[in-house]
Amino acid sequence: MRLSEADSHALAGAPVAPTYLEDGTTVMSWINTRDHKRVGVMFLVSVILFFFLGGLFALLIRLKLLQPGPFFIDALGYNRLFTLHGVVMIFLFLIPSIPSAFGNFVLPLMLGARDVAFPRLNLFSYYLYLAGAALAILAMILGGADTGWTFYTPYSSTTPTQVFPVLIGVFILGFSSILTGLNFIVTVHTLRAPGLSWMRLPLFVWAIYATSIIQVLATPVIGITVLIVAVERVGGFGLFDPARGGDPVLFQHMFWFYSHPAVYIMVLPGMGVISETVAAFSRKNPFGYKAIAMSSLGIAFVGFFTWGHHMFVAGQSTFNAGAFGILSMFVGVFTAIKVFNWVGTMYRGAISFKTPFAYICGFLYFIVFGGMTGVALATTSLDIHWHDTYFVVAHFHFIMVGASVMAFLAALHYWFPKMFGRMYPEGWGLVAASLIILGFNATFIPQFLLGNFGMPRRYYQYPEHFQALNVASTAGATLLGFGFLIILIYLLIALKYGQRSETNPWGSKGFEWLTASPPPTHNFDEIPTITQMPHDYRTHEPPGVIRVA
Amino acid sequence: MGESGPSGRASGALHPDDGHAEHGHSAIPYVVVWIALLIFTALTYLTGKEHLGAWALFIALAIACVKSALVALIFMHLKDSSGMTRLVFGTSLVFVAVLLFFTVGDVATRFRPATPAGAPFGTERAQPEGLLEHELPE
Amino acid sequence: MSHEGLAEGIVAHHFSSLERQNEAMRLGMWLFLATEILLFAGLFCGYAVYRFQFPLAFAECSRHLDLTAGTVNTIVLITSSFTVALSIHFARTDQRRAAVVCLALTILFALGFLGIKAIEYTAHFHERALPGKYYAFEEVKIPGAAMFYTLYFLMTGLHGLHVVVGMSVLTWLLWRTNQGRYSSRYYTGLELGGLYWHLVDLVWIFLYPLLYLI
Repeated sequence: MRLSEADSHALAGAPVAPTYLEDGTTVMSWINTRDHKRVGVMFLVSVILFFFLGGLFALLIRLKLLQPGPFFIDALGYNRLFTLHGVVMIFLFLIPSIPSAFGNFVLPLMLGARDVAFPRLNLFSYYLYLAGAALAILAMILGGADTGWTFYTPYSSTTPTQVFPVLIGVFILGFSSILTGLNFIVTVHTLRAPGLSWMRLPLFVWAIYATSIIQVLATPVIGITVLIVAVERVGGFGLFDPARGGDPVLFQHMFWFYSHPAVYIMVLPGMGVISETVAAFSRKNPFGYKAIAMSSLGIAFVGFFTWGHHMFVAGQSTFNAGAFGILSMFVGVFTAIKVFNWVGTMYRGAISFKTPFAYICGFLYFIVFGGMTGVALATTSLDIHWHDTYFVVAHFHFIMVGASVMAFLAALHYWFPKMFGRMYPEGWGLVAASLIILGFNATFIPQFLLGNFGMPRRYYQYPEHFQALNVASTAGATLLGFGFLIILIYLLIALKYGQRSETNPWGSKGFEWLTASPPPTHNFDEIPTITQMPHDYRTHEPPGVIRVA
Repeated sequence: MGESGPSGRASGALHPDDGHAEHGHSAIPYVVVWIALLIFTALTYLTGKEHLGAWALFIALAIACVKSALVALIFMHLKDSSGMTRLVFGTSLVFVAVLLFFTVGDVATRFRPATPAGAPFGTERAQPEGLLEHELPE
Repeated sequence: MSHEGLAEGIVAHHFSSLERQNEAMRLGMWLFLATEILLFAGLFCGYAVYRFQFPLAFAECSRHLDLTAGTVNTIVLITSSFTVALSIHFARTDQRRAAVVCLALTILFALGFLGIKAIEYTAHFHERALPGKYYAFEEVKIPGAAMFYTLYFLMTGLHGLHVVVGMSVLTWLLWRTNQGRYSSRYYTGLELGGLYWHLVDLVWIFLYPLLYLI
């Protein structure tokens, strides 16, 4: 057997290869890295930073809403706050979070590869992300846009606030997202280890692959859309000006053609994380591997046919409203398939109730209720009542925070030992998870009620009789914020002082656990040959072997 | 399939990747396609100038599709490419069709009573005098 | 002509073989082309919607475009696609000089395209056939005319931007081909540049009848 350099050194008693964290400690070695793991860590730090920024905006919004009348900011300031909250949370956190942070780190490891297909393009997409973020921050400093993250025309093409830098920022961020998706698709096609056929791919890989398809196909459309609005603002000509025959509803069509599949970019990777962790923490094979894998592709595909359900009252034709209403029903089926399979995996498993599992439980609860309210909203007749009320706000926060953020936290805790070689404090993990789940419910269940009672979204003032529910929601948001802060604190402490973890502290059968935690720069001393189905807990053998030549 | 090891390079790296002798590759298909494209362009020009009314758009698009197919299959080697690249190209076209279908479908199926009178959009079409249908003198 | 000295740089460490890497590069480029197709699709969508709503204005404005210029440009781009395909053919059959000449011709054709477009734009500017709020074209004053010209400028503008980018890429590839980096052993980089150029041609194949021949 041809030994790698590291192995022969180790046999001779020499030190083993440094981990990716130790391999080059200068700032330049990070700025100029080709290592997907370092790019993933840089993305992770950035998205967490922007999560807290977006969270700060959220808390300010909820602070204002304690009072039904004017309170500590004016209406324009309030409009800017919710616009920036949306832009930061969606484009700077949710879209890149799991794919660019964890996908980057874990995908090549799960494939038995040494890197992604295009390492330099990977680094470039990180810098594009920073550039887009910088523009959004610049816009914020200059006062910020007040259009809402949806930039509906003709308001967005005529308002005097700083919309232009935000639009260009979104365009650049979209480009970053496209390049990441492109990289991942090519990686999955060309860098799989020997023995790793498509039907042996880990479920997280299937989810990332499906997400990448959406990123590549949908993002260019919002790219051109924001570009047209930007040109209209700066050049005075565009496609959406009613005075010249333009149709504002056309903007909405083009915007939502991306933005609906975008919500699947935000949730599919989370579903992939849940698939991974539910198998690991139930120590049981996924109930229906093929069903879960194929339903990821199903969501990606069918998600493109449903965008008009955001426009039921916008003025599109009733033919469209009917068509989109029916098509929107289909996409829920795939999520239901996944939920049944996850629960089926847990049933009669050997549950290990660690922090990631607490987040799995939260995720399941939130995706079921968030998903069902989504199906309800997709019913045209019901949406007439609920459109642009807090019912919609609560629905998408159930999915985007309740599901996606829970999955992000599950991923963070599950892969923390893999990425940093340390364990987080389990007790605090469970405490924070409880606070978050509790705080989340306290924040958003009142909003379902508010919306149903008729409180519109994005309104600066509301009638007095809505105050009690608003106060309850703000209290919940404060609790939620505390939960996130606690996590940030104990993870930062664990980075330096946490207990050193073993190579595979969870006993997971994931392929990424075949190499050291944290891994060396080149990932594997020898590329493993995969010999088993993924997530196979029926055997005690490791899922891959180093083939003897 | 592939060899492993930190350097990762297999011994077959220096062979031409087509599997057949590169020097036998012919440029004739390119010439043929070029001439065909010029002929189709002439056809587009001639039929376009005739302004054939309702059929004009269909004919123009049909010829454009044939030209694109020639460029994609021969110039861009899609004919010889892996199934995946063909799937990528095909899928992008499908989704362009989806986008166009529902947006044009929207404006094509709106009820006239649902759009404000005199609005430049909706199912009313502008007439040569610059007037909208309901503004035309009887 | 041996290029053994360049062999070291060809296959990246994470790819198991050159063939695998070539496959990856091609797939990556096709995915990128797919994104470009969808980028233009947004504008084609706007075109479709507004042509449907203002058929007479669009037809009228189309007649005021310079059909000769548009047709010549179509021929120019088609021929440039031909020459870039030829340059790849020559590279992979180890005829370096012919490859360089064909690439140079392609770039010249691209310049020619841009030159003709510049002449057209100047003419539009003089007759005040401009996009959006600047529209003041005396000869067509019906609703929807401004929208036609807005779309015309947006679509040909975005296309022109891609011509410029494509030309820059081809120029860089010309330099590299001249250095002998592309041969029967490895020509994927050149192939990818060619693919991008063909996309520019593909978009124009649709723009021509839709703008000039309504």
